[in-house]
Amino acid sequence: MKQEDRLKIQAWLDGELAPQESARIADLIDNDLEAKELADDLRAIQKALEVGEKQTVLEDSREFYWSQVERQIEAEEPITENTQPELVSGSLGNALRWLIPVGSLAAISALMLNFDSINTTPDLPKTGGSKIENPQTNPINSPSGLAEGAGTVMEEESPATPEVGVFSFEGTQNGGNFASPEDPNTLPESIENPER
Amino acid sequence: MAKLDIPNAADDELVRSAQKGNMAPYEELVHRHRDKIYARAFSMLRNEEEALDVSQEAWVKGWQRLKQFQHNSSFTTWMTRICINLCLDFLRKRQRQQTDSLDQMEEETGGVERRMEAEDYNPTEEMERSELRKEIDAAMEKLSYEHRTVLVLHEFERMEYKEIAKSMQCSIGTVMSRLFYARRRLAKILISLKKERQS
Repeated sequence: MKQEDRLKIQAWLDGELAPQESARIADLIDNDLEAKELADDLRAIQKALEVGEKQTVLEDSREFYWSQVERQIEAEEPITENTQPELVSGSLGNALRWLIPVGSLAAISALMLNFDSINTTPDLPKTGGSKIENPQTNPINSPSGLAEGAGTVMEEESPATPEVGVFSFEGTQNGGNFASPEDPNTLPESIENPER
Repeated sequence: MAKLDIPNAADDELVRSAQKGNMAPYEELVHRHRDKIYARAFSMLRNEEEALDVSQEAWVKGWQRLKQFQHNSSFTTWMTRICINLCLDFLRKRQRQQTDSLDQMEEETGGVERRMEAEDYNPTEEMERSELRKEIDAAMEKLSYEHRTVLVLHEFERMEYKEIAKSMQCSIGTVMSRLFYARRRLAKILISLKKERQS
């Protein structure tokens, strides 16, 4: 008998096998002696484990045990989520994060263009002008798109910013991440929806 | 609003009160369920001190996350899952410091049990329940942590394969394989314990 079939016999006993596969395994158990013996063995172990676990009881008194838990809770309580004060509100902060560099760049560009127009040197207008204007006329080639101005940048960035927020929010709310016990932030949420 | 009669209140009432920041109802919850949480930690870690520490840590985490508990499951189920996660975390850290266990190597290479003949084991024929529990406990002690954990989660916590896979950070196939060998090994140990008892 293949190991795959052994595992499927076990899964069948555990009620974990898909219906179409279940019929085949049931048939195998009926007609194959080795499969039948394996199923009997696994059933016997399942039956043995049904009696449950040995009772284990804490020896510490209620007061002593709680005092230790309480002490740990109090020790960790001062930790707050926002350790740094926010200078500006979230949406304004996000806008400023982009507006400031974009505005600065725009100001520098304007200054350079002005400088370009008032410059009396004959060589400078051609070379200097094209270097500055390129990112504006061909935004695809612009490495960051910053030269396009604040409005465009915000349009491009705004869908990405909430996505990050949504992602981290979902990670904690739905918490499918029961599998990641290292991250205590995911622990309880994952437990909220036990599938069984 | 009537004052909560803490000793006689239902778990759910205590949880709702504790969610508002009241610690006294939480203390009652700890008192009611501390044995169960400790027992789960002990069954996985097999060390009294470590189980005590982890169980207390679970209660601390429970308090810190209590507001996120949405009453979709029982409070004890929720707390037990926290405890299990902490135990798995602890075991993973411990495992990293050790070389791979023999069981793990056997799983990868095929193992002794793959070639082992099916053994007829009928444990409940003449044993008392408490005696059988003790025997199972002794046998569980002899299992590797991977095998013990998968058995605890499946047989005692009634978790499905996919839940176990998530918890143990492995594939469903690995869960099936571990569970299979864990059961075979447990049967083998129980048979040898039975023989010891009879001789």
